[in-house]
Amino acid sequence: MFKKTNIRFIIIGVAVVLALYSLYWTVAYNSLSPAKMESLKTAGKLDKYENRIIRLGLDLQGGMHVVLELNLPKLVETIASNKTPEFYSILQATTQEAKVNEEDFFTVFERNVEKNNFKLVRYFTNRGYKNSDIVQSLKDESKDAMRRALEIIRNRVDQFGVSEPTIQKAGEYRIIVELAGIQDAARARELIQSTALMEFNLLKEPEVTQSFIASVDNYLKTGKTDIVKEAVAAKDSAVALKESKDKSISVNELLGKTSVSASTQSETADSSVVVDEAMFADKPFSSLLRNVNQMIGVPESNVFAVKKILENPAVAKLIPYDSKFLWSAKPERMTMQDGKTESFYILYHVNYEAGLQGKYITKASATVGGAGAQTAGQPIVNFGMNNEGAKIFSRLTGSNIGKRLAIILDDKVYMAPSIRSKIPNGSGYIEGLEDMDEAKNIAIVLRAGALPAQVDVIEERTIGPSLGRDSVATGTQVGFLALLIVMIFMFFYYRRSGLLANMALILNMIFTMAIMAMLRATLTLPGIAGLVLTIGMAVDANVLIFERIREELERGKTVKAAIETGYSRALSAILDSNITTLLTALILMQFGTGPVKGFAVTLFWGITSSMFTAIFVTRTFYNWRTDRHVLKTLSI
Amino acid sequence: MIRIIKKTDFPFIKYSWTAISISLVIIAIGLVSLIFRGLNFGIDFTGGTLVQVQFQKPMEVDDVRGALSTVGLANSTIQKSGENEFIIRIPQSDDKGNIREVFKSTFGITDTDILKIEQVGPKIGKELRGKALLAIFFSFIVIGIYIAVRFKFQYAIGAILSLLHDVLITLTVFTVFQLEVSLTTIAAFLTIIGYSLNDTIVIFDRVRENLKVLRNENYERIMDVSINETLSRTIITDLTVFFVVLCLLFVPGEVRIFAIAMTVGSIAGTYSTIYIAGPVVVFWARKFKPTKK
Repeated sequence: MFKKTNIRFIIIGVAVVLALYSLYWTVAYNSLSPAKMESLKTAGKLDKYENRIIRLGLDLQGGMHVVLELNLPKLVETIASNKTPEFYSILQATTQEAKVNEEDFFTVFERNVEKNNFKLVRYFTNRGYKNSDIVQSLKDESKDAMRRALEIIRNRVDQFGVSEPTIQKAGEYRIIVELAGIQDAARARELIQSTALMEFNLLKEPEVTQSFIASVDNYLKTGKTDIVKEAVAAKDSAVALKESKDKSISVNELLGKTSVSASTQSETADSSVVVDEAMFADKPFSSLLRNVNQMIGVPESNVFAVKKILENPAVAKLIPYDSKFLWSAKPERMTMQDGKTESFYILYHVNYEAGLQGKYITKASATVGGAGAQTAGQPIVNFGMNNEGAKIFSRLTGSNIGKRLAIILDDKVYMAPSIRSKIPNGSGYIEGLEDMDEAKNIAIVLRAGALPAQVDVIEERTIGPSLGRDSVATGTQVGFLALLIVMIFMFFYYRRSGLLANMALILNMIFTMAIMAMLRATLTLPGIAGLVLTIGMAVDANVLIFERIREELERGKTVKAAIETGYSRALSAILDSNITTLLTALILMQFGTGPVKGFAVTLFWGITSSMFTAIFVTRTFYNWRTDRHVLKTLSI
Repeated sequence: MIRIIKKTDFPFIKYSWTAISISLVIIAIGLVSLIFRGLNFGIDFTGGTLVQVQFQKPMEVDDVRGALSTVGLANSTIQKSGENEFIIRIPQSDDKGNIREVFKSTFGITDTDILKIEQVGPKIGKELRGKALLAIFFSFIVIGIYIAVRFKFQYAIGAILSLLHDVLITLTVFTVFQLEVSLTTIAAFLTIIGYSLNDTIVIFDRVRENLKVLRNENYERIMDVSINETLSRTIITDLTVFFVVLCLLFVPGEVRIFAIAMTVGSIAGTYSTIYIAGPVVVFWARKFKPTKK
């Protein structure tokens, strides 16, 4: 028995240590000074914290929750051609009916079309002859429009400047966007809803880019803003793929060599980037870059630093006036010589003016190269454009053979294929795609230029940061107040046993928060309410046990026997009542939205951990007492 | 040892008809009010816009109303929520375009003065209502199944009837006093269900145990004994819950309504366990097993 109790103590100890460790990050994160936080961000080390802290919901830290819905009538209208007044009237009636009756738009549309003996084929070409076929084709088109809308919004999120934005598809035609801690809700709303811009821009000649990099190196080293004309013939000499002697240096150190150093940052110790030691002294900018398949790759941890350098006014002046720097939409994973994989963002130096605008694209689809062709069996993207676009494209490709053309959506480069030959008739294909998924994605991007997918805001919740702060303050105060009152009552009523229950209660709170941190769950205001209610439920378990022990003592049992019976008899009631609560919480998690979900999550984990603390932990302490002494009385 | 109550022996079941009658009267009042006045659904369920603003200069409700009527928002409900702070609810029909900009220009305020904007489309509102009802419905089913498995079928009937009673009583309070029903209120309803069920299960658990011990007693007696034996636990737990809920009353906004629902619900919950859940099980036993040994 003595040994058993020790094992129980070890289990409790391990749980407590784990919980405290998991909570350590939240405490550390919240005590970071703004300057320190900025420097950690520069060094790309803030993730380590952000992945481990208890996240606050929109209602607590302020932010924006938007539900967007694809505007189906608008989409159908855009696709249709030769539109007549009758067509518009049917579309309008359908929109109205679908809204009022809450029916599926296309179901109503098809019904109205049939009712009026309408021939859809008059308005929609290449989509079959039967009305039902055309409606089906429009439905597929809408699903594709959803994919485009999602891609466009995902592509834009980093402009919001928030960590961990949520973008998810909800239902068939809806997207939920959650941006925590956003300051400028009006701008975010605009950004989400604005039409996507798809362009093709030519990449600058490598020599021009090299000269720019050399100039920046020179500027960072000497502070002079001369344009370096030195011909850097072999790219690899400047952007070398060497990772042998990487060392960490601070970004301030980097910029500090010039007079424009960011002197506001006092703490530099942690803000480091990975550079090549040998190269750093001579070429401070180049040392941040790597050669990735003959492109400029920037390791993920250096991205922020490179962005900062490019934004430096003096450096910005060095960028040739007819060009701009754009980043790849997604990071590229590369396996290095030493077997480690690293993530790189590609930095593209492109012409300022677009070579061709995406609006000319009429179709784009992912497919596999046919047999006999050079691309047989490989994923490719076929695309086509209208006559006007074909003329421009023909000129563009004809005079730039061998150069690379970047496919850009909202200032993010998706890929930059080389121009093989002149494309005269406006239809061509892209090869060299990694897999079918990439091909599909590129096709989506190309189509985003062709057919804008308009989304409407149907629900918006914005909470200002100050209201959020107030809520955190009141929520915490109330939580502590509730805890305190309950604890005083328990001590007053059950004396030493009450103290034990109180300890269990505090542990329960610690465990619940720790689980929230480990699961990366979000704490909301209703979540705090759920936590407060957990206090009530957790206490109930101890009340049940203590009352039972009292009963057994009154019946004349010994202390040890009373404890034994008390726990075992109370157990079934505690289990049954807690399990039903857990079931309710689970259902709420499943069906609940937003605030209700937050409530359910804390309730669920609170109850779960209370079964450990209120039963196991308190019992362990009783056992510990009864193991060592034969108790005549019990303070209960 | 401190005792709130000594050992008791109240004949609870004897008075259950009186209690049930009182409950029925209250529920009847609630249903009448529900038919004629309905529930005060918040924008979560009706759609519409809620704006919470903090003015930098002294403002009163009438000032706000005056300014809003000039821009065609006269039908808004305006509620003072703090020093120069207001919660304004704009009905769906008046909702036009960019409320944020309308507020900024009408009152000459900036983005930081707008503490909160919630805009819910009418379609979403209906969906949320559907989902909430679905959640309550499903929790009833699941709870019923669980109790039927762990105890007996009649216990499930008793528990669910008592839960229905709690929800109806709480609804009565909401319709009579026209308290706002929001998503948070639904959470409160479910918590009430949880607590009430807790009480019910504790008593049922004791009945399950006493059925083995008191083999010569009838069902009514066993139920009375069980309720009395667990009475001190019921009172203590409900007291602590009451303390906690009392604290929640101090949190502004939706949580306060949540706390009101909880207060009403937890009282109804305790009561219904004793006077609805218990008697149903006893009546069932009388009706279907008259020759119980």
